[in-house]
Amino acid sequence: MRAVTAPHIEVRAVAKQWRTRDHPVPALDAISLDVAPQEFVTVLGPSGCGKSTLLSIIGGLAVPDAGEVRIAGRPVSGPDPRQMAMVFQDPGLFPWRTALENVEFGLELQGVPAATRRERARALLEPVGLRGFEARYPRELSGGMKQRVAIARALALDAPILLMDEPFGALDEQTRLLMGEWLLGIWARTRKTVVFVTHSLQEAILLSQRIVVMTARPGRIKASFAVELPAPRDLDAAPAAALRHALWDAIRDESRRALDGGA
Amino acid sequence: MSRIVLARLGVLTGLLGAWEIWAARGNPLLYVPPSRVVPALGRVLRLEAYPTLLSHLGVTAFEIVTAYLLAVALGLALGFALGLPRHVGEIYEPLLAALYAIPSVVWYPSLMLFFGLGSASKIAFGVLLGFFPVVLAVLAGIRAVDPHILTVARALGAGPRTCFVKVVLPAITATLVAGLRAGLALSVVGVLVGEILGARRGLGYLINDAYGRFRTADYAALALLALAVVLIVDAAAAWTESRARRWTEGAAG
Repeated sequence: MRAVTAPHIEVRAVAKQWRTRDHPVPALDAISLDVAPQEFVTVLGPSGCGKSTLLSIIGGLAVPDAGEVRIAGRPVSGPDPRQMAMVFQDPGLFPWRTALENVEFGLELQGVPAATRRERARALLEPVGLRGFEARYPRELSGGMKQRVAIARALALDAPILLMDEPFGALDEQTRLLMGEWLLGIWARTRKTVVFVTHSLQEAILLSQRIVVMTARPGRIKASFAVELPAPRDLDAAPAAALRHALWDAIRDESRRALDGGA
Repeated sequence: MSRIVLARLGVLTGLLGAWEIWAARGNPLLYVPPSRVVPALGRVLRLEAYPTLLSHLGVTAFEIVTAYLLAVALGLALGFALGLPRHVGEIYEPLLAALYAIPSVVWYPSLMLFFGLGSASKIAFGVLLGFFPVVLAVLAGIRAVDPHILTVARALGAGPRTCFVKVVLPAITATLVAGLRAGLALSVVGVLVGEILGARRGLGYLINDAYGRFRTADYAALALLALAVVLIVDAAAAWTESRARRWTEGAAG
């Protein structure tokens, strides 16, 4: 076993270009990041800064042009559902499967017997407030419900790492705050290592132990903020407001650059 | 009985009545009223008009089944071969659609040259007609698969084969089943038209023969029989389609 202090996720000088029709677009430029076991890290950055690309590379869905990612010391060579579960902004539920069957998908691939996986999927839908909705199809669920099914589907893998790419980005403000609280509850119980990508300062402050701010494209780490606010967090209290100012200072120029360069 | 069904029966009765009155005024060699078709149909069904009717029907059924199975096999194979590799489908789809748009009867003379007057040319024609809706449905279905759910499936641990079986196939089922149904209807048409245009056996041959010998009432009775074949085949297809739809419920959302 590795020492507890060793990083759970190591991103080492990862670079990535996307090839478009005209010219390659640099998405990430030699980015490095360590995430400790059971840490909740938020990656904050302007749109198009490559934060989703970073998460795809950590999750093994995209291959970096340079650098490498290690999970618990081992290089990532592809998606590894036993180590990492991913949640995306678009829940991406399988429309021909019921909520329950969606949650079962990953377990099915791992060859878990039907009765066992059904039971586990049921046990995951209940705490996300979807009891009684097991047999519904995605089109019969609201946006927030779909995303909760998607999260339950990711949690069903019971992987120690949870990678979340703007998971609440498509939800309205109230649902978003409630889902954030709900996620914190899950994290408090399961103590997973979480990398959470967002462009919302508020969400970052409410959720994370550490906030990493990325620069505009090509993305690098611009600054890192430890968040030492007591729970439950009050966004209007002075320390949160101060942090918000500091974050905004760090991100403002980058957002402006993204606006100028992104057009 | 619902009003719609009653209205349909009313329309049907009206049409038959109009047919009866109209046909009675025309040349009896060319125009047969229902009052003559019904007895003719009775003679056809009692095997009095054509004692070998069942063997002809058997030939036609054999040709339809063979043609359709080949059309499905070829359509699925080519559809997946062209549709699964990236961009290949995009290259070939317009080409296939253009070929599909050519009135298919123009191919028939050459099929007769290649395959002769027997069953083979009818089967070939049925394959040709039934194949296009299947291959185009596969291509359209694959193109419509949301790439994001494939990414999600990969993240959940699905390799290429699992993605195909557990994501692509269920995602395209609705489109595919519609294409299979259209292909079946066209395979039936292909075989019957092939038989009518030149054959020595089969329902289409009997139809052509009856008309050629001015046995107009028999001709109409046999046409009704052909209609029954089409309706039975289509009802079977519709039943299968509704089963498949129930199986992939929600695919439209």
